[in-house]
Amino acid sequence: MDQFRRIQTGKKGDIFMILFKDKKILDDTVLDEIRAEVAQLLGKASGPDVLLDFSEVDFMSSAMLGLLGQLHRKVSGGKGRLRMCGIKPAIFQVFKLTNLDKLFSIHKDAPAALATFT
Amino acid sequence: MPGGDVADLTTPAAKGVDVLIAEDSRMQGKILQKRLTDAGHAVRWAENGSLALDMARERRPDIIISDIEMPVATGYDFCKAVKSDPALRTIPFILLSTLADPIDIIRGLDAGADNYVTKPYEPDYLLGRMAALLATPLGEDDLADATTLEVSLAGQSFKVRAGRQQALNLLVSTFENAVAKNKELMVSNQELSVARDGLERTNKELVSLNAEISRINTQMIRDLEAAAKVQRSLLPADDVSLPSLDIAWRYVPCQSLAGDFLNIFPLDDERVGLFVVDVSGHGVPSSLMAVTVGRFLTAKVADSSILVRQGPDGRVVVASPADVATQLNRLFQADEFSGLYFTILYGVLHVPSGRLDYVCGGHPALVRIPAAGGPPEFHGAEGFPIAFVPEVVYEQKSLTLSPGDRIFLYSDGVPEAMDKDREPYGEEKMASCLDGGRGGPVDASVASLLDAVEAWCQPNGPLDDVTILGIEWKP
Repeated sequence: MDQFRRIQTGKKGDIFMILFKDKKILDDTVLDEIRAEVAQLLGKASGPDVLLDFSEVDFMSSAMLGLLGQLHRKVSGGKGRLRMCGIKPAIFQVFKLTNLDKLFSIHKDAPAALATFT
Repeated sequence: MPGGDVADLTTPAAKGVDVLIAEDSRMQGKILQKRLTDAGHAVRWAENGSLALDMARERRPDIIISDIEMPVATGYDFCKAVKSDPALRTIPFILLSTLADPIDIIRGLDAGADNYVTKPYEPDYLLGRMAALLATPLGEDDLADATTLEVSLAGQSFKVRAGRQQALNLLVSTFENAVAKNKELMVSNQELSVARDGLERTNKELVSLNAEISRINTQMIRDLEAAAKVQRSLLPADDVSLPSLDIAWRYVPCQSLAGDFLNIFPLDDERVGLFVVDVSGHGVPSSLMAVTVGRFLTAKVADSSILVRQGPDGRVVVASPADVATQLNRLFQADEFSGLYFTILYGVLHVPSGRLDYVCGGHPALVRIPAAGGPPEFHGAEGFPIAFVPEVVYEQKSLTLSPGDRIFLYSDGVPEAMDKDREPYGEEKMASCLDGGRGGPVDASVASLLDAVEAWCQPNGPLDDVTILGIEWKP
């Protein structure tokens, strides 16, 4: 399942696992490509369970939060749940500045995040 | 087609002869063999000159076609051997070569070759040469009157022994070869001239396209400038001045259009509204959203304002910051979230008492520099960015200023400004820079923070819009 350039994907049961491959998500073009790839992966799935893994990402612009907001809506529009993990301190700062650390379910690593889906 | 006009020479006399080929390339050998077999000839094929000589002695062929460059025995060696063998020497011998140096022709003549065809050749041309040779067979008498001629070419002298007929044949074949090459050259030349015309046309089109692009570019720059002007209308006047307040601000968009803006203005006789807004992203989409948001954040009592409205008794009613945030969030909810959102810190300052009510929609906390001394304080409030999630509660907080206190609002372009190693400027340095400005005018404080951020981001400059608003309360 490696047809994507910006994301690495996997499935654990019904959970879509998405790992962002870029070290820097600062550029609008990179962000647009990630957005398109995620949309292609999730397709018409209604309220899917999604795990986002940030462990490769060192830098991220606040515009990326917009994509996370879109995912949050798509997921909570159905019965799905959105979890995030592997967020480094510099990235966490972006969440913190916007208070979004309180909106999103953020976990240390993938196993810890997966455990919360049960 | 070089061979086109000599193909007629393929007379019936040339049909069904015994041909011997010497060719080391399997592919070229096969192709040639097939062509000759198709033309009705019996064909034998050897991989080198030595094998070919054996085959010629085993059964005398009517004609020999030989490559020059071959291992074991070259075409020249093979030719010499044939021409010095009394039983074989009247067999017409054609040399095939990729070489086209005049010296090669002399060598061929010296080896006794009757004909010379340069590769690549048209099969019909080769068949034509074969037919011509078979039509003018060499007699023993021709070979008998062979004389040694001395030829000088390119500073080298050659002794060539050849009969009249043989020399004539080779001369004619060389000439025909030259004519064929000349024709090819003429065709190439024509193609070149067609290509050049095409290039000139394309060039002209490019020039006109370039002019079109430059026209569109000028238009776009004009549009962007007009849009930037609309955006500047969202900002306070340069010399904004309100009673009991010292106000200073800076706004540096990182592109011609920005997602940031700020303002400060009176809401009624006692209250002042102030805010910094930061729309996610940059450029046209962000700027369009900024302008739309700005329409709602106005102190003019009009339908569009969500800050003030006309009460039943005709007096102005000022909305609470929490109501403003809730209202904005409701207004900017779209069925399909585009990913565009904004953060805001909105405050209402009651000027007589110094009480500031404020709300944060995902926006960084404001900084207070207490006049009485003590470290800078960060004051934030709970609340998600606007347009992010529907039906959110925004926490409203209050802060009571002391005379001489300063507050600073800013966009995340200040603490998140990155140096060349992508290290953020940070809240700590920001606070201590503002702290260092105590005693001087507010404007100097704001200016020095902007300078510090720009210096931090050298050599590339800030990648985000930088917005700062500073206020000192001096009742």
